[in-house]
Amino acid sequence: MKRLRVAITGLTSCSGCQLALLNCEAELPQLLELVDFRFFPMACSPATLESDYDAALVEGCLSMPHEQELLLSLRKRSRYLVAVGTCAAWGGVAALKNDQDREQLRQQVYGTDSTAALETFSPLPLNAVVQVDATVTGCPPEKEELIGLLTGLLKGSLPTLISYPVCTECRMKETLCLLTERSALCLGPLTLGGCGALCPALGVPCEGCRGPVPEANLAEAMEIYLQKGYAQEAACERLRRFCPGWRA
Amino acid sequence: MKAGLPTSATITSVRKLTSDTTLFALRCDDPAAAGAPLPAVASFLPGQFLELSLPGIGEVPISYCGIPSSDGTIELCIRHVGHVTIPLQNAKPGDAVGLRGPFGLGFPLKSYENQDLLLIAGGLGMAPLRSLLLALLVERGQWGELTLLYGAREPGALLFLDELLYMSQSSDIRIYLAVDRRGSCLEGIPHCRAALLPALLDQVMLQPERTHAALCGPPIVYTPLVERLNQLGLADERIHLSLERRMKCGQGRCGHCAVGTYLCCTDGPVFNYAMLKGIEGALV
Amino acid sequence: MRYMEISKLQRLLDLLRQQGELHSPVLGDDGVTRFELLPPGKLPDLAAIRTQLPPKKYLLHPQETILTYQADAGYRVPLATVPAMILFGLHPCDLAGISYLDRIFLGDEPDQLYLSRRAALTLIGVSCTPDEFCSCRLYPSPLEAWYDLFFQQSVDGIAVSIGSPRGAELMKILDDVMEERELLLPEDTRCFFGRKIPLPPESELDQGLPEWQVLAGHCIGCGACSVCCPTCSCFDVLEFGGLDGSSAERLRRWDNCLFRSHAEVAGGMSFQKDRAQRFRYRYRHKYRGFGQVKGVPGCTGCGRCRAFCPAGLDLRALAGKLEGDAS
Ligand SMILES: Cc1cc2nc3c(=O)[nH]c(=O)nc-3n(C[C@H](O)[C@H](O)[C@H](O)COP(=O)(O)OP(=O)(O)OC[C@H]3O[C@@H](n4cnc5c(N)ncnc54)[C@H](O)[C@@H]3O)c2cc1C
Ligand code: SF4
Ligand code: SF4
Ligand code: SF4
Ligand code: SF4
Ligand code: FES
Repeated sequence: MKRLRVAITGLTSCSGCQLALLNCEAELPQLLELVDFRFFPMACSPATLESDYDAALVEGCLSMPHEQELLLSLRKRSRYLVAVGTCAAWGGVAALKNDQDREQLRQQVYGTDSTAALETFSPLPLNAVVQVDATVTGCPPEKEELIGLLTGLLKGSLPTLISYPVCTECRMKETLCLLTERSALCLGPLTLGGCGALCPALGVPCEGCRGPVPEANLAEAMEIYLQKGYAQEAACERLRRFCPGWRA
Repeated sequence: MKAGLPTSATITSVRKLTSDTTLFALRCDDPAAAGAPLPAVASFLPGQFLELSLPGIGEVPISYCGIPSSDGTIELCIRHVGHVTIPLQNAKPGDAVGLRGPFGLGFPLKSYENQDLLLIAGGLGMAPLRSLLLALLVERGQWGELTLLYGAREPGALLFLDELLYMSQSSDIRIYLAVDRRGSCLEGIPHCRAALLPALLDQVMLQPERTHAALCGPPIVYTPLVERLNQLGLADERIHLSLERRMKCGQGRCGHCAVGTYLCCTDGPVFNYAMLKGIEGALV
Repeated sequence: MRYMEISKLQRLLDLLRQQGELHSPVLGDDGVTRFELLPPGKLPDLAAIRTQLPPKKYLLHPQETILTYQADAGYRVPLATVPAMILFGLHPCDLAGISYLDRIFLGDEPDQLYLSRRAALTLIGVSCTPDEFCSCRLYPSPLEAWYDLFFQQSVDGIAVSIGSPRGAELMKILDDVMEERELLLPEDTRCFFGRKIPLPPESELDQGLPEWQVLAGHCIGCGACSVCCPTCSCFDVLEFGGLDGSSAERLRRWDNCLFRSHAEVAGGMSFQKDRAQRFRYRYRHKYRGFGQVKGVPGCTGCGRCRAFCPAGLDLRALAGKLEGDAS
């Protein structure tokens, strides 16, 4: 079988998503038989971009001009471009302060000496700049999702996106509902599932790390949070941690 | 057991019909001994469907596009639109697939006997109607007048055009074609005009008390077609439509394909309009 | 009538354990009551009004492999031997839930996985006292609450009814802890099941009712109502290729008709676009039935959907209005 020619890179990110793939230690030997990681700066010695890839997997959001260039050139060279992780999909934590004045933020970090600052702009998800063929969300995505993405791509198929919230998986696990039974500020109803309700199953409210579920009913969720004694702003702030696009 | 378990089959031929649609021929890997009955999945009625599996990718419902053949060959006409059907673009003869079926109720051929038949296809709806058409032509003496109205987006998207033009040379059937968008080669195609599908009905004279209509097309064409047929005097019971729904099992279990309180996979996919009339979302 | 003093419960459980894995409602440390393995020495929570998940979890796992594929062997059902299992402490509504699933998965062509698990199950019911979420009393059900044995709880003990040959066999083994007593017990909630009720109306649902919009406006789409319903059995099907490049696995996973994806087809087109429409889909299935359960209301009245809905929604109330009070 022809191996899948893949480019993997990270933009503004913590490299956690790429690490999640590298952490699939048990599967990596078999994966390498199927996938030819042609460009993977984090894992291999320096590589240069080649003319074409079957797929590019991109982690992180865009916040610097050179990242935009890299993204555009990967887009041009790849049949499929996949946004991997919450930052690539929604902006993620790097975009946390997108609603604040950029110049002020820059001064907070770099002081008034503008020469020390990197050239940056407000972090954006990938689809703000290029066409994204598929998204695997998560901070980081689950190992099974990453492997499923690669085995699917190998056969020329894109992954199907889950469209239900964390709550569904939480209930399937027969976990105690922290929102209804403990009045916790759990973002499960608004957050895309796929993680197997990892946090609630451990007794920790969902932080919303996988981004918004389609058709999220924000108004009603807010209503429930208010009933449980949370201020709208507290709930919104929590929501925006991983997806600055949330607005109440 | 059988209906839930795909039998292994092999693609035997691949013919690109248009840029996004391919005609596949397949055969089950366990050919029945000569003279023995065909494998269940190769023995079907026009309008029924099967579930086609691409190992490692998934399963999709697809209508039978041909008629049962003595060597068990099954024809499927597939449009490449999503995560299972796009990988099929690269399928080659010899590739392994899985098949389950037949599922659903097909066109009610018994009630068509000695009746005039009006087949109306839109776009990919030609796939199941080709099966019906071929079945009708095999026993041509059983039916009255045969008419096919077929519309597609543009001339290049008319499926099986060569076959249809060949058929139209005989007196067995009358064929009228329509395209939404006039393309370069329109003039070269006999019986074809730039029009919407329902407008083709103006060309036919039908005797409503002895006519049955069989429709398959994208959901949006059904309402205007049914309205027009009603105006021409055709009773609701005489209008048969093949519906498409999300289907995950084909066996009445997964719960995805309900139309009112019917299940499309077991009570359909072919319904007469009297059954569907008034049901929310039936025709969209 | 065969009767057991409550003091003999531990002894009874030990006898049952010899016949198979014993599962019953147990209140967990986290506050959730679940059906789970009952370890020796532990008592089942027979007063619990409802477990969070219904017993369907034993028959249809939330997510499970239904087919495996190997290039040389094609698709296969991954059948494994299922050890004998006793579910102890099923309320009549949950028994009825199982008989409903049987109708769907054990028809002409039984689902092999379901069948293998169902055949390994012994069902022991117990009587219960309905709470404010239960609706069995108000809306009796045509579904049969089949059981092998049924334990009717009274003040100091349990009266036993036998419901099947398997139950009769089991009773012989339990004879040690039983005695004969003349008792006059009141009817229990079993009487609300297996009832002849009028067929649901054929008429289409009135889309203009404001209730649909209210339901749609408040639903947060969490999925709890279907996950926790003993008779919801919608499933989605997924397939994944193996790391050897040729094998594959096909999964089914519980689904909910309130999700947009439930009726979505290629290109993002959906046959159930808005949530109000999806509530009518849900309604039709739950209270009128479709396919092989057409005309059979599938709500057992267990109350889980109401008890676990974070938005406090109640489709049953609307059904009371639309179908009429059947009792
Ligand atoms: C009775 C019937 C007969 C059909 N006959 C044909 C045919 O002859 N030729 C043809 O090309 N297509 C036919 N279709 C449509 C075909 O099934 C879909 O195009 C196909 O399922 C798309 O799957 P996908 O994975 O490529 O697309 P995706 O959009 O990736 O689909 C994801 C999943 O959604 C479901 N799904 C998506 N679209 C449909 C759909 N339109 N109908 C049912 N389920 C869907 C499938 O289960 C699929 O696996 C038929 C559909 C039905 C219901
Ligand atoms: S704990 Fe959170 S994720 Fe789980 S069901 Fe409750 S709200 Fe949803
Ligand atoms: S619809 Fe609600 S009350 Fe009825 S059986 Fe399902 S969960 Fe129980
Ligand atoms: S259609 Fe809806 S109500 Fe019926 S089983 Fe499926 S999820 Fe439950
Ligand atoms: S439990 Fe309530 S909020 Fe959740 S999906 Fe069902 S109706 Fe909607
Ligand atoms: S396809 Fe599963 S119920 Fe119709």
